[in-house]
Amino acid sequence: MSTPNGTSMNGATSLVKSLEAAGVDVMFGIPGGAILPAYDPIFDSSIRHILVRHEQGAGHAATGYAQVSGRAGVCIATSGPGATNLVTPLADAAMDSVPLVAITGQVPSAAIGTDAFQEADIRGITMPFTKHNYLVTDPADIPRAIAEAFHIATTGRPGPVLVDIAKDALQKETIFNWPTSVSLKGYQPAIAPNAQSISDAAALITQSHRPVFYVGGGIIKANAAKELREIAELLGAPVVTTLMALGSFPHSHPLHMGMPGMHGSVAAVTALQKSDLLITLGARFDDRVTGKLSTFAVNAKVIHCDVDPAEIGKNRFADVPVVGDLKHTLIALIPALKAALAKNRPDLSTWLRQVNNLKSTYPLGYDKPSDGSVSPQYVIERIAKLSDPDSIYVAGVGQHQMWAAQFVPYELPRTWLNSGGLGTMGYSVPAAMGAKVAAPDTTVWSIDGDGCFQMTNQELVTCALNNIPIKVAIINNESLGMVRQWQTLFYEGRYSNTNLESKRVPDFPKLADAMGCVGLSCDRPEDVDKTIEKALSINDQPVVVDFRVHRDAMVWPMVAAGTSNDDIMIAREMAPDWDSQEL
Amino acid sequence: MSKHTLEVLVENSPGVLARVSGLFARRAYNIDALKVGPTENPAISKMEIDVNVEGHALEQVISQLDKLINVISIKEILPTKVKPAPTDTQPDYQN
Repeated sequence: MSTPNGTSMNGATSLVKSLEAAGVDVMFGIPGGAILPAYDPIFDSSIRHILVRHEQGAGHAATGYAQVSGRAGVCIATSGPGATNLVTPLADAAMDSVPLVAITGQVPSAAIGTDAFQEADIRGITMPFTKHNYLVTDPADIPRAIAEAFHIATTGRPGPVLVDIAKDALQKETIFNWPTSVSLKGYQPAIAPNAQSISDAAALITQSHRPVFYVGGGIIKANAAKELREIAELLGAPVVTTLMALGSFPHSHPLHMGMPGMHGSVAAVTALQKSDLLITLGARFDDRVTGKLSTFAVNAKVIHCDVDPAEIGKNRFADVPVVGDLKHTLIALIPALKAALAKNRPDLSTWLRQVNNLKSTYPLGYDKPSDGSVSPQYVIERIAKLSDPDSIYVAGVGQHQMWAAQFVPYELPRTWLNSGGLGTMGYSVPAAMGAKVAAPDTTVWSIDGDGCFQMTNQELVTCALNNIPIKVAIINNESLGMVRQWQTLFYEGRYSNTNLESKRVPDFPKLADAMGCVGLSCDRPEDVDKTIEKALSINDQPVVVDFRVHRDAMVWPMVAAGTSNDDIMIAREMAPDWDSQEL
Repeated sequence: MSKHTLEVLVENSPGVLARVSGLFARRAYNIDALKVGPTENPAISKMEIDVNVEGHALEQVISQLDKLINVISIKEILPTKVKPAPTDTQPDYQN
């Protein structure tokens, strides 16, 4: 039900009507003084407002919603501390290119700059990590600001946009005027790629003998998984999917070499290293993927396809830059490549044999703890095995995140959510909440660490009260596990401040129970399956499982920070046996 | 390092100077001089920015500036454009 333009109302109603006109169906937030006028019309709106327990939860929930639905996530908070609590999710969304619209109340315009109660310059604070932001002081500007915010957040390279609205602008009378179109002089994101660069890319591909598809999160943003599969099968070249791209190419596909990077598979890391052509699709040569940059894939030429021209050449020179929406790019590149291959098809059989040999020689694996305790990788492997194939997994940050990336075989896009760029501990529970709101009929697992869980678990109260039955697997190693792993490897086992004692305090099942969830616990390998099955059988309440696992398990393979991908280790002080490989 | 002068047309909106100067600070680009003035169109201001960067970083400066929504156009007015060398564009570091 849309509101006709020209209707009189106050700024707050105009805001809510604008959000409705933008197609918002759900938002996550907490009211407070400056945003209070907006909460009155929200009370009558068709938009579902989910009252969270901390604004950071609202931001990550909006991100989870966006990552699963492909639509903009919306969060709303008041001025000052409400707004600053959104800072982490906004920075997180900027790093992972998540379309997010954040609405914040601001102190009345006459009070701005006076250090008024609950005043914070949230526009100034968020400038470095929003795609754009607004401070609205005139109620007549509200519909245009909201329309532009959604346009900017969801087009081009997606990202977060903040709209800060002074309280008096919400209170004053105005005429509602929703713009029919948005036109911004300084913002024309590329859509169609340049025809010359497409033919250059096709030509370069046919000249290469060791090509690799280096696929990043952009492929999921562009909804181009189908086109990726088509071009990969057309060329028959290996595919590596970064942490942000897992699920964009089926894990089970014979051309999939896994995830590259600091904790990537030997096959994926080495395929990039030994390649003569990186066909880069929506990836950004992040330090966690390249390792020591000057030693990264030194013999490879680069085709760099990205919607963001500033990514081209940022870290690595691109021989052929292709700027445009990835779906459009692939739709143009596939026939061009087909034609080029018809004239000259390079023989990739040796290359494929080499990478497949690495894939079969160095599969991901782990050792069972000798003391009979539960192995964290085993828990994650079993969760993936026993849950529906379309289940969604949302990780926190650390060892459990890497294991969830390694040991869940993702087959579908938008089934794996994590904080890749910013590495935000505490992301999992609220992001899983947002994911479940976007996909209420799908099983949503939060795979969390005991450290991460203690940062944002209060959103389980929100889940319990709002019928958002997520499942949380706490991989409880009573440590800040990844930091502890680095202390083991690089600080002579001096475990400074990484012992959380989470097997003593808190009692996670009791905590879950107190928050209106079902709390379960498991500390024996033989109980893992039945505990997971019990969790899967409960769908009317959130479930929290405390998996008490071995604390010394480590994430392997590993390329230590600042070292070359050539120095990948498959276990402590153990490199792959390169002499047995023909590479 | 080499000196370049960029002429940047921006929307005359509050905070635009902070956006531009903040970008330079955040990405560790050096500004030698910065001049902001009006144009014939009151909605548009003109910035002249003297930057001191390596050849390749200039392309990054321009691309990153262009991402600011309030930046309408960027023109290098001094000296003529330099073609970047085909190398890695970031120094190695341990993170």
